[in-house]
Amino acid sequence: MSGIPQPDPGSRLFRRTLLRVMAVQVATLLFLWLLQTRYTR
Amino acid sequence: MRALDWVIIAIYLVYVLVDGVRRAKGTREIEGYFLAHRSLPWWAVGLSVMATQLSAITLIGTTGQGATDGLRFVQFYFGLPLAMVLLGVTLVPFLHGARVFTAYEYLERRFDARTRSLTSFLFLVVRGMSCGTIIAAPAVVFSAIFGWSLLWSVALMGIPTVIYTMIGGVQAVTWVDVKQMGLIVFALIAVMVTLLVQLPIAPDHALALAGAAGRLRAFDFSFDLRNDFTFWSGLIGGTFLMLSYFGTDQSQVQRYITAKSVDQARSSLLMSAYWKIPLQALVLLTGVLVFVFFVFQRPPLLFNPAQEQAVRAAEPSRYGVLDERYRTALQARETAARAVAVARARGDRAASVAGLEAFRAREADVGAVRAEGLALARRVTGTSARDVNYVMPYFVLHFLPVGLTGLFVAAVLAAAMSAAAGELSSLATVTVIDFYQRWIRPEASDAHYLLVSKAATGFWGLFACVVATFAATLGSLIVVVNRFGSFFYGSILGVFLLAMIPRARATGAFVGLIAGMAAVAAVNFATPSVSWLWHNVIGAVTVVAVGLVLSARTIAPR
Repeated sequence: MSGIPQPDPGSRLFRRTLLRVMAVQVATLLFLWLLQTRYTR
Repeated sequence: MRALDWVIIAIYLVYVLVDGVRRAKGTREIEGYFLAHRSLPWWAVGLSVMATQLSAITLIGTTGQGATDGLRFVQFYFGLPLAMVLLGVTLVPFLHGARVFTAYEYLERRFDARTRSLTSFLFLVVRGMSCGTIIAAPAVVFSAIFGWSLLWSVALMGIPTVIYTMIGGVQAVTWVDVKQMGLIVFALIAVMVTLLVQLPIAPDHALALAGAAGRLRAFDFSFDLRNDFTFWSGLIGGTFLMLSYFGTDQSQVQRYITAKSVDQARSSLLMSAYWKIPLQALVLLTGVLVFVFFVFQRPPLLFNPAQEQAVRAAEPSRYGVLDERYRTALQARETAARAVAVARARGDRAASVAGLEAFRAREADVGAVRAEGLALARRVTGTSARDVNYVMPYFVLHFLPVGLTGLFVAAVLAAAMSAAAGELSSLATVTVIDFYQRWIRPEASDAHYLLVSKAATGFWGLFACVVATFAATLGSLIVVVNRFGSFFYGSILGVFLLAMIPRARATGAFVGLIAGMAAVAAVNFATPSVSWLWHNVIGAVTVVAVGLVLSARTIAPR
């Protein structure tokens, strides 16, 4: 594995984007869940 | 379609061609042609990743699926954000940092030429055919709806795509993708707004009708291996599929290794994860609203006009009887729907519940007559009578206002062209880097490789158009090839996972790859009812297990 760069998991852009991504996913899933529970009987 | 619609489509095609070709500046070296000198901003790469994955079938087939089957298909994408995060901290830094042109090139550095050649060959076979199907699927729908010849439909999408990809390389593909993505989202939102305006009832009542018909069921927590769309198959099988697709498929890898840095490359993948589930939900919800729209506007018994004509001609009396029964069932369903809207508007809860129950029963009657119609079409035409891909085109052509029809057709063209362009560019890269440069001409000038690269792009474009043109007769072959693709996706992911494990060795990786594909084939033939989404899990796990066992037995150093 020599010469192959090791991953660098920490960086500001990545962490910031990651937080936003997860927020959007959670919001969408909540919206879909709300649609299903409110309108599907 | 009116003149304004054709003008919009013509403007779109000319703009894409001109914009793509002018990106040829700065692509005088092979690194500029295939990797844009690794200089593209993360947001553009992210949009390009999304555009490459979003094909015309997403726009016309997935909306149709929303209309006929509801939201449950969205579960297919539940694993995507997780896969993007995992790739961002594992494979992306390795691939971007290794300064490779192709994902498979990295495998030779880590293992050997055998593994590289086998994986890149499998990619060429399956992606070459799938590129043809990307163009063929909308072309078949266009030719049935507009009455165009299949050749003309294929040429309309294929020729501009091949020209700008061949001349402009990955720069053209990426920047045209960005604009195409904008057009697709704009058209979808415009159609959604138009639907809400044209519905004769309030959106809340429309959603109640959709819910009563089971169209808003987005979550299914049952653990059924035979069901393609459950929460668990989407989350577990979907994660492995997305890891395989975005982590090891050159058509995706090539997008993010054009980014300026490792950080920007993984942020571009996250950008794709941002919008994938919301976008798919928007596409499916548009289809759900189309379903409600057709509760109040009479839809045809068969949405595919070619099939309808064939059935009418072959069995006129049988079709007439079915059509009459269909009309009666539709009228009863509409009456029930209007009663629900009135009860809900009055706030009469008991009447609303009873009305929804009646609507559900009338919807089942409509579905039963439709099923008989589809069975008759299947018997008359001898082909699959699934007409889900024709629901949205029928709505667009008959009910959208002038101008918006052209905009939606342009968006379908954009989706097909952006997906095909990304695949053409990656096919040419693998052909030149993993085969021509590796085995035929290892030493040549940059100008020579650039010329061969453009020729390879042209060749794959021609190949895709030929496959698309003969798609109707090659139908079963394409199904076989796509099935074959699902055999090896997870296995290739397994090889890349092995590559990140220091004690894995070349022989273990190569034999593990073959064992993984064999395991998937065995599961597929022994238990064909197991959903293909689980094949990726089986393939990846087998490769890693076999690879590690064999590596432990290998004495020779790598």
